[in-house]
Amino acid sequence: MDELSFTGIIFGISQVLLLVSLSPLIVGIMRKTKAKSQKRIGSPIIQPYFDIIKLLRKDEVISEQSSWIFRCTPWINFVTAVSVAFFIPVSLIYSPFGVVGDILLVVGLFGLGKFFTILAGLDVASSFGGLGSSREIMFSALVEPALFITIFVIAIFYGGTNISTIVSSANEISFLAAPGVLFALIAFFIILMAETGKLPFDNQSTHLELTMIHEATILEYSGKSLALIEWSQAIKQIILLTLFVNIFIPWGIADSFSWSQIGFGVLLVIVKIISLGILIAFIEIRIAKWRLFRVVDLIAISIASSMIGVIFFFI
Amino acid sequence: MILPTEINVLDISAAILLVATFGLIVRRGFSNWVHAYRYQTIVLAGIVALIALITDIWELYIVSALTFGIKAIVIPKILFYVTKKLDSPIKLETNPYISMKLSVIVSALLVAMSYFIFLQLNIESNEIIQVFLPVSFSLFFIGLFVIISRRKALNQMVGLLTIENGLFLFAVSLTHGFSLIIEIGLMADILLGVIISSILLFRMSKTFDSIDIKNLESLRDD
Repeated sequence: MDELSFTGIIFGISQVLLLVSLSPLIVGIMRKTKAKSQKRIGSPIIQPYFDIIKLLRKDEVISEQSSWIFRCTPWINFVTAVSVAFFIPVSLIYSPFGVVGDILLVVGLFGLGKFFTILAGLDVASSFGGLGSSREIMFSALVEPALFITIFVIAIFYGGTNISTIVSSANEISFLAAPGVLFALIAFFIILMAETGKLPFDNQSTHLELTMIHEATILEYSGKSLALIEWSQAIKQIILLTLFVNIFIPWGIADSFSWSQIGFGVLLVIVKIISLGILIAFIEIRIAKWRLFRVVDLIAISIASSMIGVIFFFI
Repeated sequence: MILPTEINVLDISAAILLVATFGLIVRRGFSNWVHAYRYQTIVLAGIVALIALITDIWELYIVSALTFGIKAIVIPKILFYVTKKLDSPIKLETNPYISMKLSVIVSALLVAMSYFIFLQLNIESNEIIQVFLPVSFSLFFIGLFVIISRRKALNQMVGLLTIENGLFLFAVSLTHGFSLIIEIGLMADILLGVIISSILLFRMSKTFDSIDIKNLESLRDD
C-alpha cells in the first residue's frame, strides 16, 4: 500500500492527468448519444474540448459589485475536483496517494466546491443566481444524508472508508457475496444522477429557464472562469463515474503493479466508464424533468434503499 | 444439490425480490403497479424454483411454473385489460393518504421491522427459512401498507396480491410447499378473486366515474 516510490508517484500523476483530460470526452459522448437517439446529428464528440479552448481565449466580464468570492470560485472548483482525482483508484486497486484521504474527504472536497458555487451565485445578486443557489442548497442538504448512509453501507461491507480498501475488497468479494451492496448500488446511482445534474433532477442543456439549478448559479460567469467551471464539472462527473465503476463493477481492474495488467485495466475502465455514461444518457432521454418537489421522492428512495442495505448487513 | 457458497444466490434473490416489491411503492401510474407486480411474481417464481433445486422436491417445480403462468401472465393480463378499459382520464395515484417519499421510508422501516420480528421468532431454522421468511414478512407488511395508504381501488387489488405473494413465500419457505392439489386450488382462488374484483372495479367506475375508495363509504342501502 505505502508505495510512495518514484514510479508510484509518476503513475498516480499520470492517472490524474488521464482523468482530467478524458473528462470532457465523456460529456461529449453523452451529448452525442442523446442527440443520436433524438434523430439529431449533434455536435462532434470532441466539442467540449473546443468549447473549453474557445472560452479560454475569450475575455471575461465581471460585475463591479462582485467580491473576491466570485473571482476565486472557479479556481476552488477546479482545484477541489483535481485534488479529489488523486484519491481515486482508476486502473489499479489502490491509488498511490490513497493513504492521505478517504471517501469522506472526497465528499467534503466536493462539498467545498459546491459551497463556493452557491456563494458565488448569491454574490452577484442576480435573481437567477439566488434562485439557483437556494435550489442547489436544498438538494445538497437532502442528498448528503443519503450519500452518507450509502457510504456507510459500502464501508461496513467492504471494511473501511478508504477508497483503496473499498476497491480492493470489492475486487475480491464483489456484491455477489454481499447482497446488501446491491441496495447501495441503487442508492449510489440515484445520488450520481443528482450530483452530476442529470435529468430528473436538473437539465443542463437549457439556459434561461425557470427550471435550471446548477446553470443558474454559474449564469454570471464568462470566459476563462466559465471554462474552468465547466471543466471541473466534467471532472466531477468522471470521478463519480469512476467511483461507481470501481466500487460496484470492479472486475478486470489490475491488482498488482505490473504494466501489462495496468494497461489492460486502463482500457477496461475507460470502456466501462463510457458504457455507463451511455447508459445514463439513455435513461436521461426516457424521462422528463420532474417537478422540483417530486425529486425529493427519488432521494427518499435512495435513503430507504441504503437503509435496507444496512439491515442486510446485520442479518 | 450444493450451490456454490461464494456466490450467495439465496441472499441475492431475496434482495432482488425486495427491490421488485419497492417498485410498487415508488411508482404512481396504474400500469406501473401491474408491471411491478409482474416483476415481483417472476422473481418469486424463480425463488420457488431455486428452493425446489435445493430441496429436490419436484412438486415445487410445478408450483413455480403455475405461479409463473397464472400470477405473472394471466393476472397481469386481466389487470392491464382493466386499466385500459377504465373511464377515468388520469391513470395515476394523484394524492395518496401518505405521500410517496414518506411511504418509501415507512416501507424501509417495515422491512427492518420484519427482520426484527424474525429474530424474535423461536423456530428451528435452516438457511432457506433464514433468508426468505423475513422477506415474506416484509412483502406482507408492504402489501398491507399499500392497501391502507392509497386511494385507488386498483392499488388495493395489487396490495392484496402482494400480501398473497408474501403468504405464498412464507408457506413455501417454511413447509416446502403444501400438497399440489391445495396449491392449484389456491391459484384458482386468486384468479377468481381478481376477476370478481375487476368486475366490481368496473361497476364502481361506472357508478361514481372514479375508482377512489372514498366513494365506497357512501355505498349504503337506503
